Amino acid sequence: MGADILVVAEHKDGKVKKTACELLTVARTLAAARGGKVLAAVLGPGAGQAAAELGAWGAETVLVGEAGFEAYASLKWTRAICEAAAARRPAAILMSVSSLSRDLAGRVAARAQAALASDCTALSAEGDGFKIVRPMLAGRALVTAVHAGPGPLLATLRPNVFTAEKPAAPAAGTVEALACADDPRDQRVVVKSFAAGGGTRPELTEAAVVVSGGRSLGSADAFKVIYDLADALGAAAGASRAAVDAGYAPHSMQVGQTGKTVSPVLYIACGISGAIQHLAGMRTSKYIVAINTDPNAPIFKLADYGIVGDLFEVVPALTEEVNKAKA
Amino acid sequence: MKIAVCVKLVPSTTALIRVSADGKALDCTGVEMVMSPYDEFALEEALKARDKAAGSEILVVSVGGDGAAKNLEQAYALGVDQCVHVKAPDADAAAAARCAAAVLKTFAPDLVFCGRQAIDDDQWLFPGMLGELLDLPHVTAASSFALSADNAKAECKRRIEGGEETIEIALPALISAEKGLNDPRSPTLKGRLNAKKKTVTVKTPAELGLDAAAMAPALKVEGYAPPPPKSAGKVIAKPAKEAAAELVKLLREEAKVI
Ligand SMILES: Cc1cc2nc3c(=O)[nH]c(=O)nc-3n(C[C@H](O)[C@H](O)[C@H](O)COP(=O)(O)OP(=O)(O)OC[C@H]3O[C@@H](n4cnc5c(N)ncnc54)[C@H](O)[C@@H]3O)c2cc1C
Repeated sequence: MGADILVVAEHKDGKVKKTACELLTVARTLAAARGGKVLAAVLGPGAGQAAAELGAWGAETVLVGEAGFEAYASLKWTRAICEAAAARRPAAILMSVSSLSRDLAGRVAARAQAALASDCTALSAEGDGFKIVRPMLAGRALVTAVHAGPGPLLATLRPNVFTAEKPAAPAAGTVEALACADDPRDQRVVVKSFAAGGGTRPELTEAAVVVSGGRSLGSADAFKVIYDLADALGAAAGASRAAVDAGYAPHSMQVGQTGKTVSPVLYIACGISGAIQHLAGMRTSKYIVAINTDPNAPIFKLADYGIVGDLFEVVPALTEEVNKAKA
Repeated sequence: MKIAVCVKLVPSTTALIRVSADGKALDCTGVEMVMSPYDEFALEEALKARDKAAGSEILVVSVGGDGAAKNLEQAYALGVDQCVHVKAPDADAAAAARCAAAVLKTFAPDLVFCGRQAIDDDQWLFPGMLGELLDLPHVTAASSFALSADNAKAECKRRIEGGEETIEIALPALISAEKGLNDPRSPTLKGRLNAKKKTVTVKTPAELGLDAAAMAPALKVEGYAPPPPKSAGKVIAKPAKEAAAELVKLLREEAKVI
């Protein structure tokens, strides 16, 4: 095991995701503590274009897999990451919590003989190894654990928890090809098509601000008040399970134990009671705002700011105030 | 077809979990234990696949402490054919995947179903790792699953950032279940009575050829803590318009988040 830190950097058509910048910021600290370098692996269409930006964020070497990586294939991606890990022998491999890491991490951990810690909210160098903190039991407990080899640590980090900071000076960002020959056995599982949905708002799991609505919205049409506030704030829109089950919002918007985990800087819960399964998906948000008619709703226990009132009056008023403040 | 399902017994979603006084352990005494909800979807999908492919059999594996028997009785009540309990109360997700892999290597399944995550350790590790150990391709968090007419492949849907993928996977394969994959059935009275007559095969990791190194935890746990308490927030008790104006001011000037 070496001292380098390998970041699997996600991007969209060559544009580096904010979550990748968060990883690189953490990786720089870890690499400095271990006396190693920051490496980034970037795969898929447009990967080459992402290299310069990854250098600016501190990657000394950028392993680019573009040709042969036209369409996502979990088995090929696993092979590419594991071959990079075998060649470079990093002390740790970092990924962000995302559909990609959810799909790959278990497989990569098994093949690279790595110890996997998912959804970490803290990660530091500790002696010869690393220390992590991660929520478990849907946030009802935090576990602290240390890793000291023999294999590398594979840590997935919760988005928005680690602050992305650019280094004063960019790193070399030297591009190297991540060669990984095709194997017909990779074709055992292939993505045949992709149906875009979810519109123009930011991705729920990555958004800095999330506005969520609950059962009390009463209909899909009524969710417009939520969407209007979300759009005024440039936020993603979320929902409680009760709202999703009632058909007011699609499942892709569900926040909570059986939905998505979000950790934005600002979470605004509108007409959501704050059931433990909902809290599981948003309790690590930095600031929580609750708007609810019931002053005893459990959500207020977690809220930094609360308004006791009818969301149908308060939320449009907020939208107006936000628009005014922006003007 | 040979179909396998992996299930785990976990504290119920609402159970209050205490941390022991020394912070070294989680105290689950008196906590209601249930089958991890995603595993129920996995089990139902296995039953549906068996209904479709005549002559199929279902093997259910649960790795864990003695309580796992509860899961397996539930599985028998739903009509599965065979249950194996690997007694490994302290196995972490990776060790549990090795135990399940050891059982399933000899069973040689055409299809393996798991939940996308166990809702206690929330690692999302087990399905991918088991797929790798068994050299099976996998789909993570499938929200739909349809076998082809000849049962040689399946089509799954998976929701990811920005949309939904349609995935084709060749059997043998492993599928992890998302909520809503199906609507799990409840056991019938007859099923429950039958379950009482069935026996669970119990194995230890050692009997499966797994030594202490294979069962060692991937990371050494230093301790547990309850989520940090939140100090009381500010409640704005004013009419809607004024409250909204004040909140926006606070978010801009105090929290500095918008
Ligand atoms: C296994 C399991 C998994 C689950 N997973 C999830 C999950 O992932 N996510 C999730 O969210 N839930 C989940 N739940 C469900 C959870 O227990 C709650 O039922 C759900 O979160 C409640 O949603 P809600 O807050 O919208 O509705 P309610 O609990 O009905 O709350 C509605 C709230 O709106 C307030 N209200 C009513 N009218 C107004 C108004 N005009 N203006 C302002 N406030 C108003 C009420 O005071 C109340 O507090 C799960 C449950 C189980 C058993």
